[in-house]
Amino acid sequence: MADPRDKLNRREFLKQSAWVAGGLVVSAVGLPFLIESHAIEPKVGELLRPPGSIEEDEFIYACIKCGLCVQICPVHAIKLADVDEGLGYATPYINAREQACDFSCDSIQCAETCPTAALNFKIFRNASTKKAEELQPLVEKGELDPMESWRLQIHAMKEATRIGVAKVNDQTCLAYQGKGFKGTPRGKDFKGVLRYEKISERKPQPVREQYFDREICDLCVIHCPIGETAIKMVEKELPDGRKTKVPEVERGCTGCGTCEMICPTEPASIVVLPQKTYEEVYS
Amino acid sequence: MIGKKEKQPLPPKPKDQMPHVKLNMTYKEWMHRHEGRHTWRNRRWAFVIFINLLFVVSFTFDLAVLEGSLNGSRLIGFYLMDPYVSLELATISLRTHYWHNVTMNMIIGIITILTFYFLMGGRTFCSWVCPYHFIAEWAEKLHKYLVKKRKIKEHHFNRGLRYVFWVGFLILALVTKRLIFQEINPVGIVSRALIYGPGLILLWILALITFEIVYSQRFWCRYVCPIGTTWSIVGKLSPVTIKFEYEKCGHCRKCQDVCLVPHVLWFVVKGRATQAQHYVGSDCIKCGYCVDICPGDALNFSIKGLSKIV
Repeated sequence: MADPRDKLNRREFLKQSAWVAGGLVVSAVGLPFLIESHAIEPKVGELLRPPGSIEEDEFIYACIKCGLCVQICPVHAIKLADVDEGLGYATPYINAREQACDFSCDSIQCAETCPTAALNFKIFRNASTKKAEELQPLVEKGELDPMESWRLQIHAMKEATRIGVAKVNDQTCLAYQGKGFKGTPRGKDFKGVLRYEKISERKPQPVREQYFDREICDLCVIHCPIGETAIKMVEKELPDGRKTKVPEVERGCTGCGTCEMICPTEPASIVVLPQKTYEEVYS
Repeated sequence: MIGKKEKQPLPPKPKDQMPHVKLNMTYKEWMHRHEGRHTWRNRRWAFVIFINLLFVVSFTFDLAVLEGSLNGSRLIGFYLMDPYVSLELATISLRTHYWHNVTMNMIIGIITILTFYFLMGGRTFCSWVCPYHFIAEWAEKLHKYLVKKRKIKEHHFNRGLRYVFWVGFLILALVTKRLIFQEINPVGIVSRALIYGPGLILLWILALITFEIVYSQRFWCRYVCPIGTTWSIVGKLSPVTIKFEYEKCGHCRKCQDVCLVPHVLWFVVKGRATQAQHYVGSDCIKCGYCVDICPGDALNFSIKGLSKIV
């Protein structure tokens, strides 16, 4: 061809191909070995994936690292992992302590936008349809306002999320010590936002602008976007005989991490265990 | 070439048929006629910057114009999917049957982009969209300079290697059940680094660029990148291409000096062209350098078959 240096020589090709093939074979044998032995993925399996995420061993290839979920999240909760997260590079995760998903978007947009269904929207569509069918007779009879039915459908979608489960550390939790909380959780420099519907129905508000005065600290409970099916305050007697109330995680916990984000102690006294189920943690 | 009949080259042109003679110029004058003309290069650079900036701006200012990254994106609501990553996912699905889970949006995105780049010439993607290409273009200039100054030696490999990589990365995906290529894919890495902020992974890009500067010209794009290979295959029968007119050619080979994939311009060498008109092969990235430099304007963008229709 035109440039004599630009070889299309058969022997050259076979020789170089052999090198490439050799390299690929080494990777094909070596990589599964490293993956199995967990030598190169210290953090995969410990990352909190966005709502709708499928099982981690499927997620790791179903996610094509496009970043559409990152883009659509109104509170910027979703980040892409860097290389130090092992082979999970550029897959999305949520650092709940910095910015949790509090379902501000209402429609679980990250899952809706995911083209490969690594974040599977079917879960949410099914939940919403099921709820709609359940409520339809009530709406027809005029016993339920259609707007209220719509709200319940959205709530059913949120409830269908299972990305982890919260766990309270009873050693450091303020409520377990019978203590209250007064002030702004996480301080004045904290950048996170959450939806406070009393202030604005749609727009998430900075946490640093909020002020709380609770007799017994129950910030995790009052911030939970799911409600008392996920976490509630229960009576508890302290070792010294005083009665107090402490947060208790229920089966409805979605693992969204809003509680972890708002917890005023440092480090957080309630944390989400990613990719775990309620049964795995509490039985 | 396999299955291709060796055609007889056209007879050499008589002197009075040479383009410089027709213009009453000396060969030397004529040859440097269009030096400094950068019409297509400027258009292309502006477009690469525009399209990548559109991604960045869409994320930074929360505009729903061009979202995602070059692995998968959404243009005003319409999905566009990189075909190679889709192919990797499809390959893994042979083992895991995952494919039936993917959304209709993805299927539409794959079809849209394949249709678009089939029409636009396949590897047009490389020079008009790919941000890694843009960086590598500058690295290549530096590399060429260093070779010219004899500071470094040039190392060539066989272009066929990219087919080995193309198949190899698919097999690797199948065996490991991971998108291994996407871990090292500079297109996605640079695209995401621009949009979502830089990370440690950019060290890999730095290593790659350094290798291309000091060892082998355009190593990744020429011998490895399966995305470019995919587009090359898609562009095989594409209508948008570069047309070569033998009559206007003075065999100065200036086009080959500036060309980023010089083997596609084999017909400009004296005694090689077999037809009055040639179209470049699908490895051409449609960068337009040759169109700008050609003193005889023998190379031009063209749409195959348009003259027959109009």
